[in-house]
Amino acid sequence: MSYQSGNPLVDEVEFALDGPWAAYWIAFLRVVTGWWFFHAGITKIIENGLSFTYGSAYMQGMSGTALGGIPVWMGNNLAWLIEPGVPLFETLIGLALIAGAFTRLAAFGGVIFMTLFWVGNAGFGNGLVNSDFMGLLLFMTMIVLAAGRYYGLDAVIEKLDVVEQHPKLRYLLG
Amino acid sequence: MTDIIDKAAMALSAGLMLLGTVGLGIVEILAGAPYSPVPITNEAGDVVATPLISPQIRTGIVLAGIAVLGLYAAYKIVTPLAEDAKAGHETVAD
Repeated sequence: MSYQSGNPLVDEVEFALDGPWAAYWIAFLRVVTGWWFFHAGITKIIENGLSFTYGSAYMQGMSGTALGGIPVWMGNNLAWLIEPGVPLFETLIGLALIAGAFTRLAAFGGVIFMTLFWVGNAGFGNGLVNSDFMGLLLFMTMIVLAAGRYYGLDAVIEKLDVVEQHPKLRYLLG
Repeated sequence: MTDIIDKAAMALSAGLMLLGTVGLGIVEILAGAPYSPVPITNEAGDVVATPLISPQIRTGIVLAGIAVLGLYAAYKIVTPLAEDAKAGHETVAD
């Protein structure tokens, strides 16, 4: 809840996402975003199992980006993690978002993926704001709006005793 | 009455959009390669496998869901505001 007064550009604004259309739309976006990643992950698993060798090769080629030498180092040294991790984490991130469980944690993983895609694909022919960046913003939106609380399992998980006793767990849920 | 139309618009639009993307996407995966709605070609460029459901059908279903939202928007524009309606400060997008 934010209540701002004294700013003529804002007026009295209270963001409470209890409006039926807001909840509907956030839940819909969450499921579609989850399906996007689930499809990407599960089809890699079907076709190549947990050995997505293109992942490490892709990162080895990510030189000269804003991330410096990190992706190339990862591609050279973390192939053991990247090759099973890309299909596995894409699938799990997708499932979590579809179900609305551990939404913020899963969406954080999506942010990592989309950051690498946005910078690595470097499809900037029509400007920096491209579809990769829009995907990155979608995952960030899931985190900001705690999208799992709307028609998602996090609405239930957040009422569990363990979460009530450790409210900071909500930063991973929502 | 308005509440019923709201809920119907939500259910129908989300149902159609999710059917076109997720629902038929699951069917496409279960049907085997290609897992995305694009044909598979060999090195000679010949099509060796086609999607079970054409992308025209799937995108058409999604667009129908979007059209439902468009119709709902048109409905809201042409119907008078409720007497107790006011500028919404307490909720967004209502």
